[in-house]
Amino acid sequence: MLHCTEEPGMYSAHCGIIIMNFCHLQHKAQVPGGVHWTSSCRPAPLLTASPVCALIDDKISIRGHFLPPRCPVTVCAQMQSDDGDLWEAFAHFNTNLDGTVNLTRDPSVGGSYLGCEPMGLLWGLQPAPGAREGLRLRKKKVETPYVMLMSLLKGHVSPSERPSTELAAVTAERWYMAPGVRRIEIRQKGVVGTLFLPPGPGPFPAMLDLWGMGGGLVEYRSALFASRGYASFSLAYIGHKDLPGPQNRINVGDPYFKSAFQLLQDHPQVYPDRIGIIGLSFGVYLTLRLANHSDIKPSCLICINGPAGSTIKLRDADDRTEQMENDQKYWTYDDQGNVSFRAVSLPANLSPESKVKLEHLTCPLMYIVGEDDLSASSIENANLIEETLSATGKSQLFTRLSYPGAGHLIEPPYTPNSRVSLWSVKPQKLATLWGGHLAPHAAAQEDSWKKILEFMETNLRH
Amino acid sequence: MYINLRRKPLLSVIADDLSCGGTYTGKEAMGLLWSMRPVPGSREGLRLRKLNVCIPQLVNISVYSGHVGVGFREQDPLASVLTERWYMAPGVRRIDIKEKGVRGTLFIPHGPGPFPGLLDMWGGGGGLLEYRAALLASHGYASMALEYFNPAEVNTAELELNYFETAFNIVRDHPQVMSDRVGLFGLSLGSIVSISLAAWSSVVKPRCCVCISGNHTHARGGTIGDVFNEFITNVHKVRMDENNYEIWRGMGLPIPDDISQKVDVGKINCPILLVNGDDDQNWPTVESAEDMAQMMRAAGNEHLLTRLEYPDAGHLIEPPYSPHFRATKFLKDGQKVILLWGGTTKPHSDAQEDSWKKILAFLQQNMYSSSGPRAKL
Repeated sequence: MLHCTEEPGMYSAHCGIIIMNFCHLQHKAQVPGGVHWTSSCRPAPLLTASPVCALIDDKISIRGHFLPPRCPVTVCAQMQSDDGDLWEAFAHFNTNLDGTVNLTRDPSVGGSYLGCEPMGLLWGLQPAPGAREGLRLRKKKVETPYVMLMSLLKGHVSPSERPSTELAAVTAERWYMAPGVRRIEIRQKGVVGTLFLPPGPGPFPAMLDLWGMGGGLVEYRSALFASRGYASFSLAYIGHKDLPGPQNRINVGDPYFKSAFQLLQDHPQVYPDRIGIIGLSFGVYLTLRLANHSDIKPSCLICINGPAGSTIKLRDADDRTEQMENDQKYWTYDDQGNVSFRAVSLPANLSPESKVKLEHLTCPLMYIVGEDDLSASSIENANLIEETLSATGKSQLFTRLSYPGAGHLIEPPYTPNSRVSLWSVKPQKLATLWGGHLAPHAAAQEDSWKKILEFMETNLRH
Repeated sequence: MYINLRRKPLLSVIADDLSCGGTYTGKEAMGLLWSMRPVPGSREGLRLRKLNVCIPQLVNISVYSGHVGVGFREQDPLASVLTERWYMAPGVRRIDIKEKGVRGTLFIPHGPGPFPGLLDMWGGGGGLLEYRAALLASHGYASMALEYFNPAEVNTAELELNYFETAFNIVRDHPQVMSDRVGLFGLSLGSIVSISLAAWSSVVKPRCCVCISGNHTHARGGTIGDVFNEFITNVHKVRMDENNYEIWRGMGLPIPDDISQKVDVGKINCPILLVNGDDDQNWPTVESAEDMAQMMRAAGNEHLLTRLEYPDAGHLIEPPYSPHFRATKFLKDGQKVILLWGGTTKPHSDAQEDSWKKILAFLQQNMYSSSGPRAKL
């Protein structure tokens, strides 16, 4: 049943009924065979999204039509993660004089975000009320899309009121993998990873894609690079069942990362002299360390929020490393008992012999800083890298992007940031602080992604 | 397999650039799609129609070095990309309909509803074509593609107007359809049915009608088979072109003066949109539209009529960016013939693109807007 009290902003219809108040009409269409709409002057709201099928980094235009003018409405988005958790976002609007709402034009006056944010319903997604704690939205299965259900609701309400207020809806799919992109599991020469190839004959320029200590095999950024024309190889190095040794330690060393780079070089569909490396968090250290080898010549490096050295000793040969628990002396806690790893990567705390000798760098390096990074000392490490390069007359190789209000997890755009999320469950539940405030972090993801792709184009295609 | 020929030596932004040769020339952002044609060596008279709307049409777009015209399969492209073209948006539901003797497929948009509805009818080629109904549902209309006439199936010729009235009511009575906002959408024979229902049915009250390449020149009563056979009794008026393709438009001329030989369009009381190509070689649809306008003017309901006519467009005006077919195979009396539909590729494709936009605007105005049905666009 849809009914509500009189709302301000009534209007007259032109069909002989004196006053038609949108809100007074009732319908029972949910009852099969029940009473149907009979008034021919009752409007039929419509919600459209364009495009309905797109890549994760594509914008989407969401609009509501055929609504009463200057009427309160809510647009909400709901989506299920691969783990089955429900995420949702909503925004409150007042319709225009012509009875439309357009998220590209209109400001949200309440909800998951404020102001005019065309993509706010996507990066503003939060776990739905009642969801498990400490969630972080990460796509595990890149071969399927995120299915977003968007609804237009009557009044300024929350998504929980959708059943009784829904006026119209539309479904959109958001993909990491474009049609024709190929996903290839790699288990060769001890190297554990997933290769994504764009459609077409190739050869292609390529990226080696490295993530942080969270471990496992994170594929989605690589899938997106392949959707943008680059062969991309996501590499696992810790916390994967196909890697040797205990999963809570790094049991691979320099030879492993070199093998991975060479595997890419030797691939028949990759240009051997057009390979870049991207690293996030601890992946930054691995990126810099790999590029430091005289026989590894990447075309460019992209470093996001990570250290130029390590507290862990990474051996030259594949060997066991010291346990991460030694870092604990640098861990700090907030009032809720959430841990921040930030101090672990302070230059002063990094072992001097681990600091990468950037003097030997020969290719452009882009360093991306989230100024509210609570997991790594990104600003300090960026400064360290910049100073080192400056001192050796190589400052022209260095580009820094610095984003106020952005946190540690600067990822592809239009996906939500988690300021804190579950890190480990043993010996007890521990959540870690990533940092980042919703709107500035979203802006950082959007801007940095654009600049990352431009940087790759400049250095890998020209 | 369909291919495309386009001559461009460098990698560049196709939408902004001019093609200087190939299956189209000039600046055409969608030219690669609408100018596709069967590869050399294919069977004659093919027509590209999506039968399974639940999966996309895959289009492989490649760039070759130099100005190449033939032999694409033998050479390696420089680069290629794969796109998916869908008739069905995510969330649209497809429902088989087999009730009260009616056969069709209903497509319901995503959302709570209720939605305006459409009965979607194709032409005398018969069968059940779902793609336009799926596309209309993707634009917010609960649409039923109706299976009704098949020249190869004798029993379907016995269908009368009440078959269509029953079908219309199935859409109208569906719990997710607004009962007072159901329209008719037809092409060719489907348009003839729509015009007939709008004028003569006391049971069906369409909210509006979209009639592509239709006509009003048939007498009241009789079965759908009668209607079809009326058209093809003037067999002596069929001409053949230089390829031996059949031109049927002569069979529809002259437009009779006798009102009993025509649908009484003066009785139509809903907005009606006529879409025709002036190079229609299959039927004199423009002449018919002109006569309809005169009849409606005399009856005082001409304000309900909107006419779109496109120079050098043919009979088969379909949703945009699909290839144009000037002549294709058709089953007539159990025999395969090739009918000339007419139209030249570029103007026909422009007609498809422009008419679709205007059709959607017409439907929105009459089916979604709150200010009541309005005739003119």
